[in-house]
Formats: sequence, structure tokens, C-alpha cells
Amino acid sequence: MHYLRISDAPIEVAALYEKLKDPKYGGIVTFVGTVRQWTGEIETKYIDYSAYHPMAEKQLEKLADPIEAQGARVVIAHRTGHLELTDEAVFVGVAAAHRKDAFRWCEYLIDTLKKDVPIWKKETDTDAVRWGD
Amino acid sequence: MMEIQVKLFAMLQEQLGDSVAVEVPAQPTADQIKGAVGQLAPNVRQMVSTARLAVNQEFAGNGQLKLSAADEVALIPPVSGG
Repeated sequence: MHYLRISDAPIEVAALYEKLKDPKYGGIVTFVGTVRQWTGEIETKYIDYSAYHPMAEKQLEKLADPIEAQGARVVIAHRTGHLELTDEAVFVGVAAAHRKDAFRWCEYLIDTLKKDVPIWKKETDTDAVRWGD
Repeated sequence: MMEIQVKLFAMLQEQLGDSVAVEVPAQPTADQIKGAVGQLAPNVRQMVSTARLAVNQEFAGNGQLKLSAADEVALIPPVSGG
């Protein structure tokens, strides 16, 4: 059963990873997105994330369900609120019987999350405040 | 014509508040709703043009929408999670 969570609580990477372990699975792929300091010439100080609840959760379910229907397990957590440099913003994990599916689905999930899940970042940089990327 | 409430997020919310009321034709299209919100303030027109419409927390298509007062309508600016 998938685990999907969007909240202000810090992302506990080790605890989320544990949710993916199961004798059925031989491959676990995880992606963790963190707050980066430099984007070219732009220096980020911190990021505030907001979300449209519960549409964001519904969209995550729509992404995860077809993958779980193929026997894999999906764990996604996105943090909202105020994040400092190096803080984890998102965790995407897929456990599957074999590594190829786990890699493929993990990449698909983070790519699609970034396109279709209503979450926004407001980046406070040293020179300006910027919405999105 | 009918009046609907449109929920706003991110930069649109910062400019216009949590939601706005707009007059739209009965069974409006997403573009007609976006147009009505864009009329509210010249400085949001560009932001509105890049936003997607959601009805009851699902992205809406391009056709006419049969909306009732109970429906939740929202403008979704380009998302930037992850």
C-alpha cells in the first residue's frame, strides 16, 4: 500500500526507506530532492513551499496507483513550509521486484510530480524573491 | 451570466488573495474563466495566462464546463514542487 504525505514535518529519509522494504522486492530506488545554494549565478538563501491540499494528495494518488497496480510499492513525501539549504524537500521511493522497474518508475514519479502536482516554491535568493524555477 | 468563486495559489494568491469572485457565462470554458480573472488586475494577466484551471481538484479540459455553486474552481499557476 502506498504512503503519500505532504506536510510541514521534516522528511525522515530513514523511516521512509524502511516503508519500502519487503521480501517481495529485490530493488529499491529512492530520490531525495534538497535545497540547493547555487543555480548558476543565483544564490538561494531559503525556500518556502506551499501546496493546494487536498488536490496535491489526489494527484499523487493518481501517479502512484497505476504503479502499485503492477505490484510495486510507492512512497512519496513532500515538505511544505520554510526550508533551509540542504533540507530535504521531496522523497520519492519505489520498491519493485527488479531494479529496472524501480529506476524507471522512480524517475517517472519525480518528473511527473514536478509537472502535475500543485506544489509551489517561493525562492528567496540574495538578489530577489522568485516563484518557481 | 453567473458568478463563481475561483481559488488562487502561489503568486496569484499573493497578488489577489485566497479567492476571487468573477462573472462568467453559463457553462464557461477554462479560457473564459481565466479571461475574467485576468480582467481583475493588469499585473496578473501574464500569470493567469500560464495557469491551468482545476474543477473539483482535477485539471479541466478545454470544453464547456457545467458548473454549479458547489463546484470548487481553482487556478493552478505553473507548479514547482520537487
